[in-house]
Amino acid sequence: MDEHYDTAVIGAGPAGGNAALQAARRGLRVVLLDEQPAPGGQVWRAKSASIIAAPTTPESSAGDALRSALGASEVTLRASTRVWDIRRQAGAWTLQILRDNTSLEITARTLILATGAREYVQPVPGWTTPGVIGLAGATALFKHSLSLPGNRTVVSGTGPLVFYVASEIRRLGGTVAAIVTPNSRADWARAVPAMLGQPKLLARGAVWLADLMLARVPILWGHAVSDVLGTDHVTGVKTRNLRNSLTGTEFAADSLCLGHGLVPNIEAAQMLGVPIRHVASLGGWVPEAEPDGATNVEGLYLSGDGCGIRGAVAAGLQGTLTGARVARDLGKSAPTPSLRQWQRAARFGQAMTALSHPRPEVQALTTQDTIICRCESLRRGDITAEITTGAASANAVKSGLRAGMGPCGGKYCQTAIAGLIAAQMGKAIADVPPPTPRSPLRPLPLGQAVGDFDYDDLPIPKPAPL
Amino acid sequence: MTADTAYDIAIIGGGIMGCATALRVAAGGMSVIVLDQGDLGQGASGVNAGTLSLQIKRVKLMPYALKGHHLWAEMGDAVGFAKTGGYTLAFNAREAEMLHERQTLKTQAGAPIEFVSNNRLRAAEPNLTHKVEAASFCPEDGYANAALTGQYYRGRLRDAGIQYREGCKVTAIDRTNGFALTTPQGTIRAKRILLAAGAWLKPLAALLDVDLPVNARVNTVSVTERMPPLISSVIGHATGLLTMKQKVNGTVLIGGGWQGLGTPQDGRGTVNAQTVRPNLALAQYAVPALGAARVTRSWTGFEANVPDFYPLAGALPGVPDAFVLGCVRGGYTIGPYIGQLMGDAILGREPEMPLFDPGRDFEKDMI
Amino acid sequence: MIRLVANQAAQIRRSEQVTFTFDGMPVEGHSGESLVSALLRAGHLNLRHAPNDNAPRGAFCCMGLCQECAVVIHGQVVEACCTGVAAGLVVGRV
Ligand SMILES: Cc1cc2nc3c(=O)[nH]c(=O)nc-3n(C[C@H](O)[C@@H](O)[C@H](O)COP(=O)(O)OP(=O)(O)OC[C@H]3O[C@@H](n4cnc5c(N)ncnc54)[C@H](O)[C@@H]3O)c2cc1C
Ligand SMILES: Cc1cc2nc3c(=O)[nH]c(=O)nc-3n(C[C@H](O)[C@H](O)[C@H](O)COP(=O)(O)OP(=O)(O)OC[C@H]3O[C@@H](n4cnc5c(N)ncnc54)[C@H](O)[C@@H]3O)c2cc1C
Ligand code: FES
Repeated sequence: MDEHYDTAVIGAGPAGGNAALQAARRGLRVVLLDEQPAPGGQVWRAKSASIIAAPTTPESSAGDALRSALGASEVTLRASTRVWDIRRQAGAWTLQILRDNTSLEITARTLILATGAREYVQPVPGWTTPGVIGLAGATALFKHSLSLPGNRTVVSGTGPLVFYVASEIRRLGGTVAAIVTPNSRADWARAVPAMLGQPKLLARGAVWLADLMLARVPILWGHAVSDVLGTDHVTGVKTRNLRNSLTGTEFAADSLCLGHGLVPNIEAAQMLGVPIRHVASLGGWVPEAEPDGATNVEGLYLSGDGCGIRGAVAAGLQGTLTGARVARDLGKSAPTPSLRQWQRAARFGQAMTALSHPRPEVQALTTQDTIICRCESLRRGDITAEITTGAASANAVKSGLRAGMGPCGGKYCQTAIAGLIAAQMGKAIADVPPPTPRSPLRPLPLGQAVGDFDYDDLPIPKPAPL
Repeated sequence: MTADTAYDIAIIGGGIMGCATALRVAAGGMSVIVLDQGDLGQGASGVNAGTLSLQIKRVKLMPYALKGHHLWAEMGDAVGFAKTGGYTLAFNAREAEMLHERQTLKTQAGAPIEFVSNNRLRAAEPNLTHKVEAASFCPEDGYANAALTGQYYRGRLRDAGIQYREGCKVTAIDRTNGFALTTPQGTIRAKRILLAAGAWLKPLAALLDVDLPVNARVNTVSVTERMPPLISSVIGHATGLLTMKQKVNGTVLIGGGWQGLGTPQDGRGTVNAQTVRPNLALAQYAVPALGAARVTRSWTGFEANVPDFYPLAGALPGVPDAFVLGCVRGGYTIGPYIGQLMGDAILGREPEMPLFDPGRDFEKDMI
Repeated sequence: MIRLVANQAAQIRRSEQVTFTFDGMPVEGHSGESLVSALLRAGHLNLRHAPNDNAPRGAFCCMGLCQECAVVIHGQVVEACCTGVAAGLVVGRV
């Protein structure tokens, strides 16, 4: 089965969802692809079928609104669909997708990548212990299954997400043992001016904080988890005051939510030839795109947190800008929307990103024995030894040690590895680009990629010369 | 640095060809610098399938492969060397005929290849398909881990006191006084140069106004995540369009020279799902249990060749004191050995085996 | 105690509880919730052993990328965080 569209949108979060809606509204034939079972992206992830009824949240309402708008639109939705490879051939995009255990092709004249972000978790001793989950990852549990990471949870990390996660744990009936955040109160005070532009979000944060204080949940400002206790499951955490390096309170817990900001998912854009640059205030390496998503590659557009962490509100607005741009580029009439609203939302989002940045003080908590690459169980000492013997780039470390060759494809080690290379070689982090991205975008079940075939039909070329 | 303090030789290209030659000429007393536009061993030498099989070598290159085979055993664990033996399979009568024809010629060229019964094949490799029409075996076959090329040669060069520079692309070559190479890290002077730039030989030689008819193939390799033991030897296909081995860590590497997209001049090659798929299909046909494996990565590398598909190895025509080494089919296998031959020639010694004149007429089979 | 964020656990209605097995052990879960959610609740945090050091590992990113929650269903490796609970599902370790 072959499907052909004017525009294919990968990622049905706020950015991709709105881009698809806008493009369809302008008369384009649009397909919207997402590996999740329903649109919503990370922020507005849909509830699973296990939830028959539940109180609404701002996220669930916004997600429901997007899902019903898409349902009422002309957009062709392909959910539970993983895109594993993308190529431009003969002036069109060919997407390899996996759906229902079958690999299919979709072609489109233009392509919008709205692949969002993933989480960065700064390695600390014990962070691989079962029971440690990502801070943003925890929100996926809350939204999808309305379930908790454990019975008694330490919530630790940077940015606003710690307070959201702690508050959601309380809303869903769990217990927060403590909040441990490397941010100081002064860090937050500096972010206030940018936050005033989004008063609703600011007010929501104030409620979370007040509630946690009323409930006497310990909040350790300027602290980090320095050690995760337990061998085959979390039993507690040790903490450290980052200002004076003194040991802080130890907390007993059966789970830890840990995260240090978000990293854009740039691999697809990178593979398709979009140049990348390092912008710390946008979450690290970002592909170069105009505010409306246009790139240097013909027919390729980027939108949302995948081209810089500006947050959900900005992602949604940028999606609309991108959908309109694609429509215009394909000859449809669409107004040029103003960038003002997007810029204001982006300012808020970037202030949150600035609070969430990976911090050198937390990086310093790793020891020689701390695992950096989870897939291959590589420790900091392995990585630094490889750098000492001359591996001067992320590619060289990857080749020598397999750091980034495991099933996650380097998604959870490369930020830390780049930090180690930069520190050891006295380079700026912007001079340590990520390793060459490789297809497939997700681990690809071989039998599903191949499908049914007749041996005699395999297009075996003529053999090499003798 | 003035001309008299120039390096005896600058080697442009830090792949297996450049590094192997560097070690030889340094051992012969020359001062050497190796320059690479990227990192050492990140070109073809770092991304190839690592198959060290005699069964897939070209007949006329067989003596070189045989002579150099012991070098891999000497490099051993440092390059992930494993001598597992290898089976080459034919799945139908046509392929069986081709296999007989080809392996007979290769046996005559000195490779210890024998045909094996289905029973013996199954006893050795129980997870192979039962649809095998004919199979040949070579006990000398094996593999190494190409990803370790950079790590390995960085260490060897350092131990031999050879300088190397990474991120050091040669963009111009001046010949008024020896060779002056323009690089982002300044001008580097040398009395001799060796062009060992793999798939980038053509633009490099063009800096000296020499036209080398170098083309590049875009070979594809894929690898699965760790799997339980499935195969214990290198598995190939009569056409050469499948090579497969399972590493000690359980991952299965699948190659065979299926073509991706892109050119060396664009700087990047990319896989083509339309050729990856039949490559994987062939692998699954040979080892059905691979159907449950997950492919974690597919990638491409540029393999250089000239129209007659034989090496360029010798003096660069028309440019005194300039040499070229590249375009060796099965060049990972043969690299360490042919690098020694090249080094000997540069040192003014008679190489143990003849080299391949880069000034030959490529349209005629003169080799 | 005054709460500004109410405990809404009692207001959530979930699908029926069903039983699946993990590594041969029966586990209860609501049909449709993620396997990771059900396994965490049942105390099965340790889903697999890492290569090289054989250390225990469990769900981490909860969004289908890190592959730490890899399990085997019908002979195929899948991410437990992206797979729903169903009655009688047989979930094995990698
Ligand atoms: C786990 C997680 C939870 C978060 N929770 C919140 C939150 O609660 N509140 C908040 O303000 N921000 C949250 N964020 C931040 C998030 O980045 C938002 O700003 C917002 O979701 C960004 O919107 P987007 O449309 O750019 O991308 P996303 O919402 O991330 O959407 C991208 C979509 O692309 C899909 N996708 C990516 N690659 C492929 C592929 N190859 N094939 C198929 N589909 C693909 C993904 O499944 C995803 O649905 C979270 C981030 C993460 C990583
Ligand atoms: C995917 C693939 C699979 C293969 N599988 C096998 C196999 O299984 N078995 C086998 O025996 N052979 C195999 N080969 C062939 C083998 O890899 C090559 O023959 C061999 O590695 C070539 O080595 P090289 O040093 O000539 O080239 P390369 O390794 O490509 O090295 C050339 C170097 O020159 C550098 N360079 C280029 N231009 C400049 C410049 N202007 N300035 C400075 N530096 C420059 C490049 O950065 C590069 O590092 C395969 C090849 C590929 C691509
Ligand atoms: S927890 Fe990361 S893939 Fe499931």
